[in-house]
Formats: sequence, structure tokens, C-alpha cells
Amino acid sequence: MIADAPVIDFHGHVGNWESVAMLDEPSPMLHAMDAAGVDRACVFNIFHPDGRRANDSTAAFVARHPDRFIGFAYVSPMMPETIEAELTRAIDDLGLQAIKIYPPYTVFPLDHEAWHAIFAFAQERGLVILSHTDDGALSEPRKLGTAAERFPGATFVSGHSGNIEPFRTQAIEMARVHDNFYLETCSTYRQPGVIEKLVAGAGSDRVLFGSDQPLMDPRTQLGKIITADLTDEEKRQVIGGNARRLLGLD
Amino acid sequence: MNELSFRCDSPVLDANVGVGHRHDRPSPVEDAAVLLAEMDRHGVDAALVYPVQGEQVSALDGNDALHEWVDGADGRLLPLWMASMAPESLEQLQQLHASGLVRAVRLHDTTSTSTPLTSWIYGDLLAWLQQEDLPLWISLADNDPVQLADTLSAFRELRTVLVGAHYTHAPYVLSLLRHLPRSCLELSRHESLGAIEDLVTQVGARRLLYGSYYPRYAMGPVLWGLHRQQIDSRQLQRILDGTARELLSR
Repeated sequence: MIADAPVIDFHGHVGNWESVAMLDEPSPMLHAMDAAGVDRACVFNIFHPDGRRANDSTAAFVARHPDRFIGFAYVSPMMPETIEAELTRAIDDLGLQAIKIYPPYTVFPLDHEAWHAIFAFAQERGLVILSHTDDGALSEPRKLGTAAERFPGATFVSGHSGNIEPFRTQAIEMARVHDNFYLETCSTYRQPGVIEKLVAGAGSDRVLFGSDQPLMDPRTQLGKIITADLTDEEKRQVIGGNARRLLGLD
Repeated sequence: MNELSFRCDSPVLDANVGVGHRHDRPSPVEDAAVLLAEMDRHGVDAALVYPVQGEQVSALDGNDALHEWVDGADGRLLPLWMASMAPESLEQLQQLHASGLVRAVRLHDTTSTSTPLTSWIYGDLLAWLQQEDLPLWISLADNDPVQLADTLSAFRELRTVLVGAHYTHAPYVLSLLRHLPRSCLELSRHESLGAIEDLVTQVGARRLLYGSYYPRYAMGPVLWGLHRQQIDSRQLQRILDGTARELLSR
């Protein structure tokens, strides 16, 4: 909590990735979360395209601290035969609460029909999908916007909000056009005024704090929000209020 | 002011601020007054400023333009002069030093300029800096780390500040600091989970210093994040301005 406002980190990874010093261990994340004032963090494992190993890993991670972590399911269109069954297992049996997708680990742009099975599942269940978005041809925010238009019953979150210009502006435009399109803040690109621009463009009720931990420390990423030129109420929405509403945590 | 707002109330020296327009990156900061206003907003007392024109195109031109930033700033903007591979660059620095204006130097981007960081190209510059006991700022993002480590290790008394370490550098930053015992690490981009606390434990706050990389990055997030580290107040103050002041005072 910060100033009695709940803080929810919408973007965190689990799993091992040694070359960037990432290990599948919750205690360093909890330490940083406690120091930053982060109450809960959404986590997912994107390293296994079959989904099963990834989701088992996420569920095991969450089970160690279920009051602090919220698990998201992962599947890939690279293994389409696994999608429906694995999403059903991950949501119904493992208790994961939303879906994470990562286009750079596929060959399909976000507006390709290969993703439709995932989007349709989310629409049927009314789930949130967090997608990586950036300047790459597979991950452009406008292509996620295409999905938001076609699957209005699902909620789409633009991870990194496109990351850099002009894709950040593109993400904002998608949020303006589609009511089920949200922006998430984690990024190594911490230019001055970015958070203010997201809030001014999409509305403070459509922006979600994320850190990308453990690749990045939530203390610096949360600092982007706290030191931004926003009102206290806008900050409360971004750091946790919107995430609570989207994930039904109230 | 509450927990949702932040302004540092202890002395801070930002050790990494770029000024002026780069050939490919116009700056949003028009002049020293705008920069000083941003520093005031975050409670930053002083900043070490370098001309970004010197990163890839011309240290000579950049240094000429730097005067208008530091003159008249009441000592709050301290010059970080740029150095390139050209003999004329070293001559310029020597002239500035003869006038008592040089307290630190920053190396240009040897990667983009395709001039390997070797002693047979940069040896005269490095030897002069070592002889004059002037610290050298070097961007890890803009210089090959192998060349950097091998070349600098031959200048054993040269003090260096490694700038801009990112999560891709995280797995070996500690090894690099141990390999170069006279080096310090600037923290603007070093935001891997728990990285700062680990470094305080491993090498001490004496070798760490706050920098923002403004205006490439916002000034506040790292500053707020530093105040959320589990380190004692003396260690924090050392990072906020003590290490930089010591480097510049000799």
C-alpha cells in the first residue's frame, strides 16, 4: 500500500533465464515488493510453448505466496493443438486468472487468425489478455487493437504500451478507440512525460502499473508513477485501482 | 506532500545528464533554465552535464556548446567534457584543463563510431587522464565491454565511472567492477531486481552513484527507487552525492 492505496504490479515473470540473471525464486521479488509498497504482482512463465510446463511453473510459484501473486496462463499459437485444453486446465484447475501472450516467441502477428483460439477463449470466459507490444511487426499495438475490436468480450492490455514512439502513440489511439483496450506501463524506456502522456491520452482509468520484474525492479518502475505529474487520484488508479477492477479483486 | 508524491530533501548530484540536441535526437530541454526547473521539481541540487552531440558526431563541437549550459547556472551544472579518438579532442581537453575547467571527462560512443576502444587508439587520452587524475565516464551501452575491460585494466590508476548498465549487463556487472577496482557504477539504467542492494553489499556504496540519464530518461524514478532500497542512510547519501562529489573533488 502507498498512502492507503493498494498497489498491484500487472507484469511479472517467473521461470529461469540465467543470461539476464533471472531465477525462478519468489523471495527477491517479495523483498522488492515489500520495499516498494507493492501488495500483489501478476506473474507468468512465457518460456514453454506447450503451456503446460509454463503454467505448472506459474501455479507452483503462486502457491508459495497466494496472497501476493496472481498467476496468468500462457499458451502459444506455435502449438495450436494445445491451446484450448491447456487454457481450460490453467484457468479451471490451476486457478490462473488471466492470459499472457508473447508474439516475439511466435511467427504470427497479433492480427493473424492463429491467435483467434486464444482470443475466443478469453471472450467466452470474459478474461483479460496481457500481450507484449512493441515496435516489432508481430507486436504492434494496432494489431492488438484489431483483436480488441473483433473480440469485444475479452479485455486486452497492451504490455509496455508499445514501448517506444510511434508505437506508444499507436497504443494510446487503440485505447481511445476500443473500450476493452488498456495500457500497461513497464518499460526500460523511461522518457520524461511518458506516464503523463498515457494518462492524458487514454484516461487514468485505462492505465495499469507494471514492472516486468525480475528483469526490472518494481521500485524504479513504480517510481515512474509516483514522480509523474499526475493527481493523487490518478496515481491511485494507475498503481492498483484499475488492476483491482479488471481482475475482480474488490 | 504525501507518499504519492516525492521530492528528495537531502543533497543530490545527478551524475548523468545530457544537454543539447544530438544530430538524430532533438532534446526537449531548450536551455539551462528548463533543466534547473526539472531538477528543482525532484530536489536535485546539482547535475554533471555532458553534450550529447559528442556521443557520436563531435566532442569538439559538443564541448564548445557546453559552456553556455554551465555558465550562469550558479555552479549547479557541472561540465562533463566529451572525448573522442581525435588528437584534436585531447588537445581541446588539455587546453580546458589548463584553464582549470576540467574535473571529469566522458568517452564518446566507440561502437557507433567504429573505433575500437583499444590502447593503440585511445592510449594517449587514457594516459593523460590517468596522469592528471581525472575520472573518465564510459557508457557500457555504447562501448564493447570486452574492449573496455581489457583496455582500461592496463591503466591501473585511472578512475572510471561505468554508465548505463542495463539488465543485459546485469550478469557480469559485478565481475566487471571487480576486474576494474578503480571503477564506479552509475545507476540510471541498472534496475534488475535487487541489483542495487546486492552491489552495496558486494562492492559498497562508495562505488555507486546516482544518475538519471535525463532527458533520455526521466529524472525521478531512479531517485524514488533509491529511497526504497533497504540500505542505511549513510549508504544512500553516498550514492546520492557522496561518491560523485569525491570523484570530482580531486
